[in-house]
Amino acid sequence: MMLFFPFSFFRVDGSSMAPTLSEGDYVFLLKTKAAKDDDIVVARKPGSDKMIIKRVLSHENDDFFVIGDNHKASTDSRSFGPISRQEIIGRVILTLRKPKQK
Amino acid sequence: MNVGYYLAKLGDKFFGFKSASAHCDIPCGIYDPHLAQLASHTVLRMVNLIQQLDSDSKYYGHKLARYTATKEEHAELVKYEISVLWGDYFKPEHFEKFPELKDLLWKTMVQASKARQGTEEEDAIALLESVQRIAEIFWESKGRKSLRVTAPYPTEREIVLHP
Repeated sequence: MMLFFPFSFFRVDGSSMAPTLSEGDYVFLLKTKAAKDDDIVVARKPGSDKMIIKRVLSHENDDFFVIGDNHKASTDSRSFGPISRQEIIGRVILTLRKPKQK
Repeated sequence: MNVGYYLAKLGDKFFGFKSASAHCDIPCGIYDPHLAQLASHTVLRMVNLIQQLDSDSKYYGHKLARYTATKEEHAELVKYEISVLWGDYFKPEHFEKFPELKDLLWKTMVQASKARQGTEEEDAIALLESVQRIAEIFWESKGRKSLRVTAPYPTEREIVLHP
């Protein structure tokens, strides 16, 4: 039953998506391969089992060039090249930010 | 107001959500072509020392072994340092701005292997020159001026510095 559930939650780890997302935030994902430019996607990092969260800068057919919003501190398509559509787990449809400490 | 977040956190506690990594390979942004230059000066120095060896000396074998080992180690170090710059520092926009860069990086790797394998001074000099050029491009890509000066080493060749 869970297997066919088309949504998923992920916890954000790291700061390459700052200021949009920070460490400890949650994202609610629609599991789909249909991503378009400017979408935030969770994808499998090429050559590893790791999941990454990045923004689609541009795409051509099945190749997606993804980068972190924090350009100065992000390992992304600038170093590992475009990712294929197959690697995309889903598109972020809701972000749940960690409340700021007062 | 933050109900969504706390519900997600609760869900995470019970179900253990996977994490999506928003990382960069640490240490981010800390790159310098200096080590590659030092290593290629060392390669040249070892070649010179090997050429100056007196084959009649009773220490000949020992010294030759030491110089050769050091030369090989430093040629490998050049390759490592260059590959880090290539893979982690230089980005598509750099390759666009410096059309010679891609070929230069590749040529430097090949030249480092050549310098590692042999004892020809010209190979070690060619390696050093390629590395110096990479250093110049590196500093230019950072918007910094660089300076070619004679290095204070026995090789008496140049090194690219940034003031």
